[in-house]
Amino acid sequence: MTRLPPEFEETLRAAAAGDLAITTTTDAHGVSVVWCELARNTDLMAVAARMRSFDARLAMITASQPKAPEEEDDEQDEENGETGDVVARETPMTFGGTPLDGTSYEVIYHFILADEAVNLIAHAPANASLASLTPLFRPADWPEREIMELYGLIFTGHPDPRRLFLDNSIEPAVFERLIPFSTLVNAASTDDLWKKVHAAAKATAKEGE
Amino acid sequence: MTNLPVTSESFTIPVGPLHVALEEPMYFRVAVDGETVTDVDINAGHVHRGIEYLATKRTLAQNMILTERICSLCSNSHPETFALAAETIAEMEVPERATYLRVVAGEVKRVASNLFNVAILAHLVGYEALFMHVMQVRELAQDLKEAVFGNRMDLGAICIGGTRYDLDEDTITALTVALDRLEPEIREIEKTYRTNGSIQRRTRGVGVLSIDDAIACGVVGPVARASGLLQDVRADAPYHAYDRLPLDVLTLPDGDVWSRAMIRLHEALDAIVILRACLRDLPDGPINLGSDPYVPPGRAVARSEAPRGELLYYLKTCDAEEPERLKWRVPSFPNWDALTVMLSRAKVADIAIIVNSIDPCISCTER
Repeated sequence: MTRLPPEFEETLRAAAAGDLAITTTTDAHGVSVVWCELARNTDLMAVAARMRSFDARLAMITASQPKAPEEEDDEQDEENGETGDVVARETPMTFGGTPLDGTSYEVIYHFILADEAVNLIAHAPANASLASLTPLFRPADWPEREIMELYGLIFTGHPDPRRLFLDNSIEPAVFERLIPFSTLVNAASTDDLWKKVHAAAKATAKEGE
Repeated sequence: MTNLPVTSESFTIPVGPLHVALEEPMYFRVAVDGETVTDVDINAGHVHRGIEYLATKRTLAQNMILTERICSLCSNSHPETFALAAETIAEMEVPERATYLRVVAGEVKRVASNLFNVAILAHLVGYEALFMHVMQVRELAQDLKEAVFGNRMDLGAICIGGTRYDLDEDTITALTVALDRLEPEIREIEKTYRTNGSIQRRTRGVGVLSIDDAIACGVVGPVARASGLLQDVRADAPYHAYDRLPLDVLTLPDGDVWSRAMIRLHEALDAIVILRACLRDLPDGPINLGSDPYVPPGRAVARSEAPRGELLYYLKTCDAEEPERLKWRVPSFPNWDALTVMLSRAKVADIAIIVNSIDPCISCTER
């Protein structure tokens, strides 16, 4: 029993052309959390518009690149002797058919509706884009800008897609590359220490000669 | 910024990034017409530390330590909400006593945090005697934290499955005595902010955020409640023992700097009422589920009401000890946007007062 409007699920399903996977959990305090996964990310705008008409508040947006699931089952199968040859394993898919290969994106829109948390999940393959929700929800502005500088994901239709926290001189998609932590946070402000280390190393080398 | 047209009537001034209201960097590019602000552009990123990335390289237990260091004033709220998310995934039942102890840690932090912000307001108004007095009263709360938790800022009170600290009879007595000293002092401060002419002239009708703008910007916490939005996670989506405690959520209609200060003072006083109820009703029993409880793969969101408003955590765990993704949204994050509304048509001299009125946390915002 949630505090959501009774027509909530029906309205969202009616708005989406593709399927929706909806699960709800309620804790001991009677507070519910809804997870609503979109099969087609092109439904995002239409479903978000329904959330807007329910006066939902967009509280947070989380982006990530889900890891490919572990391939533990294979070994077991081999032990059982079921698979003799090494068969190329098919890439696992999300509920909507986005490949879960470690390069696709999962974007979760965390809404608060009738004091319950409603999480709308959209997937996008690498090099794809999602519709910007900023025209619908003003609080999407900064989170979308932040995601665009951390990942290679683009939100089309964002009214002001400037960098938010990172300087323009930094290459985009920092979360998708291995970057020395001190460089990422701009903490390595001088190379004085390295100069001293190099000078000391040279001096030692000369002494050795 | 020199490319902007400069005429005799309007020009652009930089405000910040240092010492706008606090010693934290945020840069505002403000267009002014005479003494009046016409446009504001907020430039962030001066203390971006990449903590979100770092969190995925640390185990859950290490992240309890790391998240407490995201912010100083609401340090306790971070591990608190992170633990709630982990406990949701693991379907842990936190012991009764620990739920009360968590409220004690959170509400003590609220008293100190709110007094700090209200003190800075007095400083920005130029009323230094009041500033020093409020800071002195806050020092009672700081001493209390040091006595109970051993630290003035990072309490280290929370662990996954419960708390790391307990209260014995002596500590409860010390807490009660400290609360009895704090309450009349805060009542007196509240009366001063309600009646003093200098405070009133600089804060009433200044930096107004209407309820419609508050909803549009998605603001949270005292900023929302001062604009008439009845919204408090402790009441709306209860956690810990809040559904059994005397919580009085106040809203004010005016949405100005003064209202936000009055909400914070009310909440400092209400925190004392809640603390007394906790100490009175504190149940017996264990305080946690033992060290390093197992958290299986899964995902959860958790919410809490930090001193500055709703704090939201998303945790996704996998087979590894490190989280696959840890994301949080601090209360200051949506509140920054409201500044563009509050500052529009404001006087240049009021900029610092208005910026301080959202109780901004920059290290929280940028992580």
